[in-house]
Parts: sequence; C-alpha cells; structure tokens
Amino acid sequence: MSPESTVYKGKTGQWAFVLHRITGFLVLMFILLHIVDVSMLNFPRIYNEIHALYGNVLMRLFEVGLLFGLVYHALNGLRVIMIDFFPGSIKNEKSVFYGIFSLTILLTIVGGVIILRPFFTGSVH
Amino acid sequence: MSILERSAARPGSTPNRRSRQNFETWSWFFMRISGLVLFFLALIHFSLTHIFNDVTTTTVSFVAKRWANPFWRVFDWLLLALGLLHGTNGLRFIMDDYVRNPRKRAAIKAVMYSLAVALFILGTITIVTFRGNFSG
Repeated sequence: MSPESTVYKGKTGQWAFVLHRITGFLVLMFILLHIVDVSMLNFPRIYNEIHALYGNVLMRLFEVGLLFGLVYHALNGLRVIMIDFFPGSIKNEKSVFYGIFSLTILLTIVGGVIILRPFFTGSVH
Repeated sequence: MSILERSAARPGSTPNRRSRQNFETWSWFFMRISGLVLFFLALIHFSLTHIFNDVTTTTVSFVAKRWANPFWRVFDWLLLALGLLHGTNGLRFIMDDYVRNPRKRAAIKAVMYSLAVALFILGTITIVTFRGNFSG
C-alpha cells in the first residue's frame, strides 16, 4: 500500500473509523447474547425471568450504551456510504462527522431519559 | 516485482488472487447494502422494544402478539440473518487487521464462523417453532 492510498491522517476520519469499529464490535457481542436469550421463548418461565433482568438499572444503563453504539454505527455507516458513492462529498466529511456525532449524542440523551425514567418513577409506560 | 518473477508465479495464483478480489469487492458492496437495510431494521427494532414499549413489558405474551403476524417474523428473521452476516464480516475485517499469525487467524475465523452459523440456526429455529400459546 502506497502512502498516497492512506486516506486517514489522524483527524476526524480516523476517530470516526475507530469509533465505528468499537461500536460495531460491541453491538455484535450484544446480538450474540440476544439470540441466546430470545431462544428461551419456548421456555416461557426462563424467558420472562431473564427479561425481568433487563429492567434492572445496570441493564438499563447498558441499554443506553447499546443505543449510543447502534445510533452512532448506523449514522456513521451512512456517512461512509456517502463518501464511497459520492467521492466529491469527502470535502464535507468533517462537518458531516460533527453532525452525525451531535445527532448521536442528542438521540442517546432523549432515548436514555425514556429508558431510565421507569426505574426512577417506578412506573412502566 | 520484475516481469520475470510475475510470469514465474506459481500456476493458479492469478485466478486465486482474482477470485479473492472479486470476493472482497462483493463483500464491500454487501456491507453497504446490508448496512442500509439494517439501518431501518435495527433502529425500528430497538425503538419498539426499548423506547415505545418499556423493556420489562417485552414478555413472552408481547412476542406472541407480535409474532402472530408473519410480517414481524420475517422482519426479525431478516434482522437476524443480515445482522449476523454484517457483524461476522465486520469481525473478519478486524481479525485480518489485528491477528497477524496466519494459523491463529485461521483458527479464530473457524471459531467465529461456527459460532455465527450455530446462532443463525438457533435463531431461525426460535422464530419458526415459536407457537406462543402458553398461558400467561
């Protein structure tokens, strides 16, 4: 690989890539676990007991983390597709990254409040 | 590499490299297309089970009601299949980058492909065999 073929130079693109990898890996790890817990559907008692755990505050915090990873990976994936299919758009790469990162934070906060609220109010919607 | 070396490459190496390149091009394209589909499938799935419904209400009867409609079984099966393929292929990129020892890399890949196939079968069995006619 020649040096000219390296697109990333330690700026936003590099961080976007690193975060894309980490969030992708973590989401995959959750999917593996999730397929196993859902496979308990034919054993309703066990399934319901496991799912009750998801209401625990630690698991709710974990779900907020999952939301962050999922939303970031999804939005940054669109950014990657944009750069790949519309090469001219690479000049906007940086502002698009700041845009999708801000949107990720915003959606994580809004979703996080909805996910964590029942634990504090004790009511489930 | 000189022209001589190139022409002296072992027979069969060119088609191999070519099929590998074809595979990687296909893989690159697959990641974009499946990513685009998963954008909707995964975010809709998360919203339904964590935002519009509280996670504690997603009990067996919740799933039974949802899966009474074949649309949601197909939706969830697509999410399972594409999620596993997209995720396992992504993990393959990571292993190619960080596991430099060819034998270790082959061993790790064998384990992760087997795990993905096993979980795909388990998930498919769950979606197909679930009847949901339990009391409670």
